[in-house]
Amino acid sequence: MVRRHLRLLVPLLTVTALAVSACGGSAGSGGSGDGGGSIKIGAWIPLSGPQAASGVPQAAGANAYFARLNENGGINGRQVEWIVKDNAYDPQQTVQAARRLIGQDQVVAIVNANGVAPSEAAFPFVLEQSKVPVVNHYGGIEPWYEPARPLLFGTQTLYEDQAAAMAAWAVESGARRLLVVHDDPKAFADVAAQIEPAAERADPSTTVTALPVKLGTTDYAPVVSSVRAAAPDAVMLIVPAPEAAAYLKEAKLQGVAAPAYGYAPTASSTTVTLAGDAAEGFRAVSLTKVPSDPSPEMQQFRDAMAKYAPDQPADFSTLLGYANAAVFAEIAKTINGPITAESLVAAYENAGKVSTGVAPDMTFSATQHLGTDDVQRTVVQGGEWVAEGDFVSAPERVRS
Amino acid sequence: MDHLVLVVVSGIASGAVYGLMGLGLVIIYRATDVVNFALASMATLAVYVALMVVEQGWGVVAGIAAAVLVAVVLGLIVREAVIRPLGAGQLFAALVMTMGVSLIMEAVVSDFWGTQPRAFPPLVAGDMAIGSSVVANQDLVMIAVAGAAMLAIGWLFTRTTLGSAMRAVAESAATAEIIGISAQRVARIAWALGLGLAALAAVLYAPKSGLSPIVLAAPLFRAFAGIFLGGLNSMHGAVIGGLVIGVLENLAASYVSANFRDTFVFALTVLILLVRPQGIFGTRSFERV
Repeated sequence: MVRRHLRLLVPLLTVTALAVSACGGSAGSGGSGDGGGSIKIGAWIPLSGPQAASGVPQAAGANAYFARLNENGGINGRQVEWIVKDNAYDPQQTVQAARRLIGQDQVVAIVNANGVAPSEAAFPFVLEQSKVPVVNHYGGIEPWYEPARPLLFGTQTLYEDQAAAMAAWAVESGARRLLVVHDDPKAFADVAAQIEPAAERADPSTTVTALPVKLGTTDYAPVVSSVRAAAPDAVMLIVPAPEAAAYLKEAKLQGVAAPAYGYAPTASSTTVTLAGDAAEGFRAVSLTKVPSDPSPEMQQFRDAMAKYAPDQPADFSTLLGYANAAVFAEIAKTINGPITAESLVAAYENAGKVSTGVAPDMTFSATQHLGTDDVQRTVVQGGEWVAEGDFVSAPERVRS
Repeated sequence: MDHLVLVVVSGIASGAVYGLMGLGLVIIYRATDVVNFALASMATLAVYVALMVVEQGWGVVAGIAAAVLVAVVLGLIVREAVIRPLGAGQLFAALVMTMGVSLIMEAVVSDFWGTQPRAFPPLVAGDMAIGSSVVANQDLVMIAVAGAAMLAIGWLFTRTTLGSAMRAVAESAATAEIIGISAQRVARIAWALGLGLAALAAVLYAPKSGLSPIVLAAPLFRAFAGIFLGGLNSMHGAVIGGLVIGVLENLAASYVSANFRDTFVFALTVLILLVRPQGIFGTRSFERV
């Protein structure tokens, strides 16, 4: 309850917080020490502002994992202290959060941070000046991992690989004329651009056309009218979940029969909640197992959410945070001796195969810092996401 | 042709929402000289309350009534507690205050209802065929309800004593006070009306977009474009401006380029304002020195 009231004061205290945080940490001031007490790690996550819809559940999922881990003895007998700062998806606030985490809180690593562009702003200070590793970032881009960048490790299949996996899936299902509906900013257009080469590689007779849409569109009537006129075999959606839901509702209304495929951001409870029965049959690739998966590890996830984060659902959003935390713990457990920035990096580079049971198996090495390019094919059936087969690797694609 | 009809009807439905919000903004601005940036977030909070009412099984109509009621009460509280103490003529202070209120409202909504988008039920289900295209009945209801609300406001302002009083205060609060009209009372009514219209717009829009703490940020932006296009001090200008923006953005997305949808619409707005700075239906105001 206290935290709830504190959060209400956030807008009023922003200026004060910025002023105070500006005095935070100096370059290279910490992060690599190991006092032998709790393992201090940190993250910046958007807990306020428009991106809080992904940040809040992600943080809840990771918190649930660490709470369960600590209750069961922590990592090699040491408790994990995961310190989260709200960056509001803002680069400036992210840099300030990084300074506080490293300078004041003395974290040994940034784990499960969120915000590709904001994180980019903090990398010079974190990775280069302070030599603190950033691991299991939420989302990421190709230049972060290809070639492997020192101190930076990822756990989520790149958006470009997700698009390639969508294309292969659609072609495998018999579609030969694909229409890609994508938002217009470059971040979406670049992902959408991967569908054509992947589809042509799967079957050279495949044709792909693109239909750009303005980011934030809620009125999909004109778009769906164009889709209907194009009469494709399948529609590939590279848009956020609320827009995918808007598309699905309008497509059902206009009688568009072509199946729709989405990338991982659309494999979300938001899509089903907003689209209702129009989401039936929607296919999307996911970064994790489906939340209702019956495996013991997934049951553990649902139990942990019910116990430690009862106000958040056990869904894809919380599972992503939970999975990232699990990968960190599995790797940190392999460290014999002090857990420092250096030992963590060494542990990641020597990790080999990492299994959590909730996400695809990860493989890390000195030259492979992105642990996976696998996705789970999922379909909405009876208002619920259902897995189709096991995890599959994204096809080889044209590298940018 | 069917595509064009669909694009226009859908654009009018969106424009009706922008028009209602714009109308709310203009009513408040004319009566109190306050540009209310908190209008959207206050209306959003009201829709969350409406959703609670709907989830209690009381129906969508009761939810809409609850949303309007909550927005009206919220508007009165903010006006009396935050804006009135500033006194007259504090245009920029009031502007900043409404921005602050907006942030606080967003934080309250996120805190109590969470940040995950939620579905809000439509007022009516079903659809209607227009040629080979299909329009959701909710879109037609949006147009009808917004149209009725706008006509009612027009009637209120032109055919009733209260409307005359409000127009008098809009022209000159000091002069209106001399002839016995309470400018404060009129200001309270204006805030109540403005917020009520915004809440109505929000409950009509939410079934289409889903409900989230910042769901009305984009419509508010377009409502502002509409009122600047139509004229900041013109009520029918706000409505027509909103409708023009709604239809134009759909036409631009369909026939020009989705990438340049906003660019096209706002470039046109800028062009019109260059030629007619007071907006299409606005009137120039002169201040004697």
